[in-house]
Amino acid sequence: MNQVTSIAVGFDGSVESETALRWAAGMAHESGASLTVLHASGILERLGSAFEPGVVPEAVSRIMAEEGIDSSRFRWVIEEGDACSALLQCASEPVSAQVLVVGSRGHGKRPGTMIGSVSLEVVQHAKVPVVVVPGS
Amino acid sequence: MVLIVNEVFDDAEHESPDHPERPGRVQAAMAGVDDLHLGEDLVVAPRYSATRAELLRVHAGGYLDELGAYCYGGGGDIDQDTYATYDSWSIATLSAGAGLSVISELQRRGEGVGFVAARPPGHHALADRAMGFCLLNNVAVAAAALASQGERVAIIDWDVHHGNGTQQIFWDEPNVLYASMHQWPLFPGSGAATEIGGPRALGATINVPLPEGATGDVTWRAIDEIVAPAVEAFSPTWVLVSAGFDAHRLDPMADLCLSDADYADLAASVSRFVKGPGRLAFFLEGGYDFGALRTSVASTLSAALDAPLSTEPRSNGGPGFDQIDRVKAQRLTAIESWTREFEKEGQL
Repeated sequence: MNQVTSIAVGFDGSVESETALRWAAGMAHESGASLTVLHASGILERLGSAFEPGVVPEAVSRIMAEEGIDSSRFRWVIEEGDACSALLQCASEPVSAQVLVVGSRGHGKRPGTMIGSVSLEVVQHAKVPVVVVPGS
Repeated sequence: MVLIVNEVFDDAEHESPDHPERPGRVQAAMAGVDDLHLGEDLVVAPRYSATRAELLRVHAGGYLDELGAYCYGGGGDIDQDTYATYDSWSIATLSAGAGLSVISELQRRGEGVGFVAARPPGHHALADRAMGFCLLNNVAVAAAALASQGERVAIIDWDVHHGNGTQQIFWDEPNVLYASMHQWPLFPGSGAATEIGGPRALGATINVPLPEGATGDVTWRAIDEIVAPAVEAFSPTWVLVSAGFDAHRLDPMADLCLSDADYADLAASVSRFVKGPGRLAFFLEGGYDFGALRTSVASTLSAALDAPLSTEPRSNGGPGFDQIDRVKAQRLTAIESWTREFEKEGQL
């Protein structure tokens, strides 16, 4: 496989997405790749959201610092759309991620069900390798 | 003129605490119908649940199985926006069936205008995935049923969000045209002017992204200069409207600035796309401010019934008027470019 220079990871604030973020940050640290931390903003976030463009969430900053990724090596991005489509889009320009990273289960999902599974959708449709990080 | 409605009222069990897509939306929409005082000209179509065969025209069998099992397993959050409950499967199939019932009644009478006041809404539902509050794609189920009868169907979507599910389902279907005007950027992120359809239906997908703050004069220009020429060239035998009312200036979910009167203008425009009586139906999609939903529904249906109602004034002066020229140019370039590409690949 060619040298990985760009990685994208989905982040929704859940514990599972923090685990995925930590794994992606570790890979970025080892490979020297840049990291895009993506939050997909759904319809309901119009009514109030914990996340703002340009304001890196505390959890993201903390994990980046712990994994040795300085602020020049990662970007915090909010895209309006569903999580699956937004992460898949990261494989195209301008992000051009060569690896997509996603937690195995996001906010509020019922364990053991496939419906609404972002990780499953991303795996099914991605044209680049996908890493699904199991929750701790 | 007769108004044929189908409403899904006993849907109180498809709700989630504090979620804006809630049962009161149907009551608000039907209050708008009541404001028209139609008397005997108001006809209620029979209640009907869409069958699996009717749903399979637009949805994957595996998805239907999963959704049904998920609901009957107790439901829960499907994604950050979308939920299901134990009763959601039966409510969703009733909503999809409501459109079929209204169309059947229109066909039987050969006159009138249809209004499907059902929820959950449908236009974000993909062939194999629920999203954006939507479980089953109600307008797509109706359009596919008509297409299976040999009809040519134009779907006009004026919900403030792009109807990505409907677009995906009919992307390469030459007998169904899909035209959307929506705020962009906004959920679900799709709906660029350059999204124009697949090789068998190139140009039959029309997208007019509008900037935050756009007013009725911009949507009027979009309909007049982009949507109308495409629809006229397509020559539909039926027109179905994904009538979301969340582009209203009072709606909390987005930032377009339409007024009740603008919806009347839009309805009058799409009514002119219809080539015969009894071939126009409106499907409730979004709309989350109950007051605006009520007045917008009344304005829309009064214009479609050619019985204008006194409303607040038209809106104008917002941004985006010049954007219509850019959308036209981008769309033309995309059609030329993809025509060459598909010709090269032997798909045309």
